[in-house]
Amino acid sequence: MKKITALVLALIIAALTLGLAGCGAKTDDTANETEAERTSFTMGIDPEYPPFSYLGDDGEYTGFDVEVCKAVCDYLGWEFKVFAVNWDEKLVQLDSEECDCVWSGMTILDSMKDAGYIISRPYFDNEQVLLVKDDSEYKSSADLAGKDVAVQLGTSGEALLSGDLSDLAKTFGNIVTANSFTSCFTELAGNAVDAVFVDAPVAQDYVANNEGFRIIDEDFGAEQYGIAFRSGDADLCARVEAAIDAIIENGTYAAIVEKYPDIAGNLLLTK
Amino acid sequence: MSIMKMSDIQKSFGSNHVLKGISFSVDKGEVVSIIGPSGSGKSTLLRCATFLETIDSGIISYDDKDVTKNVNGKCVYAKNLNDFRHIFGLVFQNFNLFPHYSVLKNMMDAPVSIMKRDKREVREECMMLLEKMGLADKADAYPCELSGGQQQRVSIVRALAMNPEILFFDEPTSALDPELTGEVLKVIKQLAKEKMTMVIVTHEMAFARAVSDKVIFMSGGVIVEQGAPEEVFGNTRSERMKQFLQNYNRD
Amino acid sequence: MTLMTMALKMASGLEKTCAIFFLTLLFALPLGMVVALMRGSKYKVISGAASFIISVLRGTPLMLQLIAVTYGPYYLFGISVSRNKLIPVVVAFSINYAAYFAEIYRSGIESMPVGQYEAAQVLGYSRVQTFFKIIFPQVIRRILPSMTNEIVTLVKDTSMAFTVSYQEMFTIGKQIANSETSFIPFVVAGVFYYVFNAAVSFIMRRVEKAMSYYKI
Repeated sequence: MKKITALVLALIIAALTLGLAGCGAKTDDTANETEAERTSFTMGIDPEYPPFSYLGDDGEYTGFDVEVCKAVCDYLGWEFKVFAVNWDEKLVQLDSEECDCVWSGMTILDSMKDAGYIISRPYFDNEQVLLVKDDSEYKSSADLAGKDVAVQLGTSGEALLSGDLSDLAKTFGNIVTANSFTSCFTELAGNAVDAVFVDAPVAQDYVANNEGFRIIDEDFGAEQYGIAFRSGDADLCARVEAAIDAIIENGTYAAIVEKYPDIAGNLLLTK
Repeated sequence: MSIMKMSDIQKSFGSNHVLKGISFSVDKGEVVSIIGPSGSGKSTLLRCATFLETIDSGIISYDDKDVTKNVNGKCVYAKNLNDFRHIFGLVFQNFNLFPHYSVLKNMMDAPVSIMKRDKREVREECMMLLEKMGLADKADAYPCELSGGQQQRVSIVRALAMNPEILFFDEPTSALDPELTGEVLKVIKQLAKEKMTMVIVTHEMAFARAVSDKVIFMSGGVIVEQGAPEEVFGNTRSERMKQFLQNYNRD
Repeated sequence: MTLMTMALKMASGLEKTCAIFFLTLLFALPLGMVVALMRGSKYKVISGAASFIISVLRGTPLMLQLIAVTYGPYYLFGISVSRNKLIPVVVAFSINYAAYFAEIYRSGIESMPVGQYEAAQVLGYSRVQTFFKIIFPQVIRRILPSMTNEIVTLVKDTSMAFTVSYQEMFTIGKQIANSETSFIPFVVAGVFYYVFNAAVSFIMRRVEKAMSYYKI
């Protein structure tokens, strides 16, 4: 019996040692890898964020951001990879190297810069809107006093409601935080809430593809989308930005933009 | 007058024909012992008499009222079985006391909550019974706190608390250590002295001989011999019983 | 945000966490018994249906059942999603836990020696009386340890109500964690669950002790 116990212990220790050694080796590799030697690039996306990033009909991730990133990788000769993050954990997942950037209709927040993340130059002008049902009588945020509003956890919309727009938020009945926009929209469609507070392009995309919804146009303050990198990856950010410039120059970018007419008006990077 | 009567009882478990036409009766005040090798059908007979098993055919009657009747070759039981159940009591080999009830509650619960008798009256009766059995100090104890012999005595008084006209015992000492069987047998002897009607399935030959008015020897699902103990034990006629007694004495 | 305000804010969601917990127990404990008895029914249709329901509820994730109960009626029949999320959440939790409780009850009922039924029958107890007076109290005693396990799991599972946007403690914790870019709310949540479960374990131990006046 003792022998067996000893053997099992030895095996466990061996496994742990090997495992740790393996981890160590991996970390070293990444640290030693200079940007020039990069062979692959993993973008972190919210997989339920059309039209910027979502699961396409063919079962592959697609969307405006995904296509641009893919073009960037093609241009730089990197292997293109996608990693679906948990949106309210996105920065933690970025730090733990599950992805090399967060690039998915991400609103640039001052708190990100303060925390040391490298943020690319903005590429999209965004605003928050309220999405309501077409047959409802709501015409402005004031009409929603005492009504229930859904917002996605971890989005700039949620940050706004608990920050700059907290006075407005207080007039709402309940603020329901859902863990994806799909949930938010289901709540609205199923009459569980009266409105969804959401990024304009996502709302526009939803209205375009689903009947019975409309957008309340109201200025809740402007914000912009950018790409987030880890604090030490300024070089990587620069290379990606340069590559974007290059694909703008060679027309690839414009070809992608053509596929997304709804958002074209708010794009900042054009020839 | 017979308290219980069985005529031509047949019982099979699947293809296993266990009781092959058993007939016997028990008169008031009579003590009947049923003996025989294991697998002879003794316990099944008792379980049929107490409705724990249903018979395939034959007539069971208590107090001259039929419990079963033959309808188109099928054995049909009376609807009011519970009225008949109050006529008899059964003491199990494994006691089957209710472990979550105290000794007193084990005895009182059925008379009070099933027969709706007055609680104080039942309590007095039960305490008297316990007193008689020398178990008065165990009234509030739980079965797990008692020895096997004490548990079996409690299960006897639990049956007596229902004031049965006849008491069945299914190998009441088989689950006990040899040194504990004495106290249980003593109680049964005491009951016999008080003219309690009893049917006892047992392996204790000396006891059966001493206590019984009638001994039934069963083998292979039939009654091979029955009669007064002196007759059955002293003047054994059948080969099967002779052999059984020889084996028994050798042990 | 100080640790204190964080904890207070999360405690406001604790009320909803407790509501899920207690209401689920209230409904799932008796419902589980009904399912267990159905499962033990001599009618093949009833016992077959019961074991099928149990296998589906135990064989699919609670999270899926939450979504199905909350949004299913809307997608299938166009019935509005309930504004009071507590209702679908408690319904989903109750049926899921009833399935687990049913299996525990069943194992307890099956472990009862047949002699208990026979003794009761000979003494004239009806089937219903036998069950409630003789069998059930002993079954409870036998299954308490596995019940405790299941109830402790329930405390932790309440956090899954987050899937259908029910604003219980863990959801609020995630909101704070997100707006404050802080890990602390998760630590606070962990402490809440731990303390809750410590209380549950304490109470269950007391109950077990209170019932251990007899040995089986």
